[in-house]
Amino acid sequence: MEHDKYIPETFNLVGKRGIRRIDGYRKASGKAIYTRDVQLPGMLYATFLTSPYASARIKGMNTSKAEALPGVRAVLRYDDPEIRGKKVISTYGGEEEILSGYAYFQGQQVGAVVAADTEDIANEALRLIEVEWEERPFVLEPEDALESGAPLARPEWIPAPKGTISADLSATQGEGAGSNKLPVSFGFAPVLRFGDIEKGFKEADKIIEFKARRRYHGCADAEMQSGITRWEGECVEVWLHHQHPYEHKWTMHQWFDIPMNQVKINSPYNGAMFGGWNWIDYSMIPQCVSAILAKRTGRPVKWVFNRRDDFTFGQMDVMTTDFKVGAKRDGTITAVKLKTVYANCSFEAALHFLENTSIPHIYSETLLAQVNRGPTMAIRCEQAPPSFCFSHVFNHVAAELKMDPTEVALKNDGTEGEDMEYLAEFKRSHGFPVRDSLRECIEAGKKAIGWDEKWHPPGSKRLPNGRMHGMGFVWTHEWDSTRGAGVAGLLIQPDGTVSIIALRSDIGVNAETTYCQIVAEELGMRIEDVFFRQQDDVYLPLMTPDGSCNLTTNGYVMKKVAKLAKKKLLELATSTVHLIESDIPPAFPGMKPEDLDIKESVIYAKVDPSNKKSVAEVVKDVKGSVILPREYAAIQNTTHEPIFVWAWHRQGRLGVEPGRHHLCRQAHFCEIEVDPETGEIEVTKVVNVNDVGKAISPEAVEGQQYGGTYMGIGRNRSEEYIWDKPTGVLLNGNLIDYKFSTMGDVGSIETIIVETGMGYGPYGSVGVGEDIGTVTSYLLESAVYNAIGKWVDDGPLTPDKVLKALGKA
Amino acid sequence: MNETRNGLTRYSCPYCSNTFDSFEAIKSHIITDHKTELLPEPEGMIKLTINAQKYKIRVEPEWTLYYLIHDQLGLTGTKLMCDHGACGSCTVIMNGRAILSCMTLAIECDGKQIETVEGIAAANHPLIEEYVKHHCMQCGYCTPGFVVAAKALLDKNPHPTEGEVREALAGNLCRCGTYPQHPKAILEAAKKLQDLVEVK
Repeated sequence: MEHDKYIPETFNLVGKRGIRRIDGYRKASGKAIYTRDVQLPGMLYATFLTSPYASARIKGMNTSKAEALPGVRAVLRYDDPEIRGKKVISTYGGEEEILSGYAYFQGQQVGAVVAADTEDIANEALRLIEVEWEERPFVLEPEDALESGAPLARPEWIPAPKGTISADLSATQGEGAGSNKLPVSFGFAPVLRFGDIEKGFKEADKIIEFKARRRYHGCADAEMQSGITRWEGECVEVWLHHQHPYEHKWTMHQWFDIPMNQVKINSPYNGAMFGGWNWIDYSMIPQCVSAILAKRTGRPVKWVFNRRDDFTFGQMDVMTTDFKVGAKRDGTITAVKLKTVYANCSFEAALHFLENTSIPHIYSETLLAQVNRGPTMAIRCEQAPPSFCFSHVFNHVAAELKMDPTEVALKNDGTEGEDMEYLAEFKRSHGFPVRDSLRECIEAGKKAIGWDEKWHPPGSKRLPNGRMHGMGFVWTHEWDSTRGAGVAGLLIQPDGTVSIIALRSDIGVNAETTYCQIVAEELGMRIEDVFFRQQDDVYLPLMTPDGSCNLTTNGYVMKKVAKLAKKKLLELATSTVHLIESDIPPAFPGMKPEDLDIKESVIYAKVDPSNKKSVAEVVKDVKGSVILPREYAAIQNTTHEPIFVWAWHRQGRLGVEPGRHHLCRQAHFCEIEVDPETGEIEVTKVVNVNDVGKAISPEAVEGQQYGGTYMGIGRNRSEEYIWDKPTGVLLNGNLIDYKFSTMGDVGSIETIIVETGMGYGPYGSVGVGEDIGTVTSYLLESAVYNAIGKWVDDGPLTPDKVLKALGKA
Repeated sequence: MNETRNGLTRYSCPYCSNTFDSFEAIKSHIITDHKTELLPEPEGMIKLTINAQKYKIRVEPEWTLYYLIHDQLGLTGTKLMCDHGACGSCTVIMNGRAILSCMTLAIECDGKQIETVEGIAAANHPLIEEYVKHHCMQCGYCTPGFVVAAKALLDKNPHPTEGEVREALAGNLCRCGTYPQHPKAILEAAKKLQDLVEVK
């Protein structure tokens, strides 16, 4: 169990405010380049035919008119011999065909792709394609899909082949081809049993039963999906709007049988990505198709999705859960029983009860159905299903017992059925500070929102403006400090500046700056002297935003490379440099590396800090070994070997390793007004309290708190894909009818950062990017109940549902 | 316009299709009979000023101003997010007003003065530095649209209240939810602009 026990008492840069964001100017001035912005000489545009039906098969297709349209350079058909019947090669299992001849949801990219001189010509050609469809019955709701006699959502579906991640992660249940019942995702068992659930109910004073639901919603990312492929002889180069750039090196290698060392990746900035897309096999299709088209046409091919095309995938908390909860009068929860039905992807809904409470008896059953809607995956993030169940259980227990929900939270805090005493001992014995994270978060949050003065019995406070006043609260643990691996190099340039060398994709969390902060901190450099340009393929993949734990993994890599570089730098400063014809004396004659230290990019003697030389002076080439001026020597490293080091770090496996408990907590509070006439919910104030262990960039943490709150409130209140029931057609695949939060949709937000140092990341940190957006997606249920005294357990909490709960609709 | 057949060149008038034997003859015909410059502009030719630079460019009727700016002229700071006039990412300033370039046809922009985020940055407008300082970006894709909308606001209203700032930016979507940071940056930039005016 690895965690950072070597935390300095003072920091120069880590945790400091006011450090200039490395990407700030580029992004504010419009200079930052995204894949959508990239144009290459002779580049063609590829657009996709999409299915007008929720379930259909292509019986015949005539593409001759499209092929004859001037400006069309290639049409790739589903029945092309190169791709017919072939699956996408991904690291997950490849359950999708490259370009299928059938559709299992409306809007699916299917049948044909056109590459043309312009996007307009490609789209015009698509309209000239004549398709003979076989329309098939479909099913939209998971409960319906599991009924006997339900139409098969995807008759062609077969489980992932053995030896793939998807297969390895699948429990053996699921009925395979010919059924809508899928294997439970992510390797969880279909039934989780902890303790003795019946015993738990017997111990309870009160049994609470209810049902709650979350409907389909999605990413609605800022930059519409696109990518480019260009062939240069036997080498292939790709530009990716994707969070797993390195994975494409693998897929290109597999698909075209070319060595990975001939695949080059460009990973420009990404316009708002929150996971999801990148985890779906489906996301590998267009890049593969563009590579085939680029090879055939001899031109670079950029594939583009339009805004509607972008609505082809969703978040994985499409779920309906039946709850049965047992609790004692004092708020102690004795038993939690869940039965959850998911659509297209599932997770373990009871996870947070297990990881995060002293509840002794837990039973959770998972059913996963395939339906005729786009694939679902973790969009900020996979912890949504457990957060959903966690918040609902705590809300209902507090309400039924007429208790303050913060008291119920504190009563049940713990881990794996053990209480806070056990956790305190765990912290002590593993070298962590012993602090009560949840209590600290709750106390800070209650004070900030005025909880003790404002919280009231449900439905009891009407405001002078006629609206009902409500207070909401949710809590859970922090995650994102427990898994991943990354590798990076570090080079000290001949002018004394430092380059971090690695490839990763950016999603906007200020990672470039935080990595530079850690390197500068550990190496003793000024922050301005360290730079990270993560877009370039340098063949060293850092943990990229593909699975939650980025800074908490990559931060260790940065610490390691900085320490190695410091060692080499001080060795150089104290060594004689042997040239061919002469020797150069050490920068610090007669001293050993341990006699020196580095601060503000200056190397100095510990005993006499006035004896100092800048890093630049020490690393520069003093004299070329060829008969050319020193300026030439400087670019050739002719005097001494360059200071280049690399390091690798593996943080752990997926999830929490046995015996490694989550120690940091988060709590979120809100104040709302419900209009009983319109059913609208106005969120007047939100307070986020996150124990992030250690904030490396406090502004970046606050950014995630603000942004997560806006996303969470938007999801909680309005975000939903709406399908036409008779036809299975998605009705709101655009940013006018799909409503995510605008600036005016949340009142004030107060952010509070707690730093207990109890994370597994560097300096005791945990990740924060996923947490707030996920947890605040279920914040309003408790506030609405507090306002109107009725439950609206059907997310999103749209006005019609609120009015229905009030008996007005 | 000129056609060579059997070694003889014939000149055809682009206005009325009459033909002439010499260039001098057609030139004199166009000036006398059509009372105009020698050659008509090709269809779709527009002149406009972008960031104080003059452009004369032939546009297709279906091109949007966004497409002209971003794809044809390479000013890629103007971004396409919703493609339906719902998000503000493609905002540019046209003749002093913030407009959506994805909903404006390029051909309608003949004679217009356009300002994009690149122009605002090149002029060292204090908004840029304040945006960096206040972390008004995460992924950064929508950020230029916010900067342009904010510049248009400050041009018209140099001393906005926070409410006016929020109102002016209510049409800009940010999926990362950076919203609370923008008013802080814009109000600071307004102060800096005021200081600059006082110094002058």
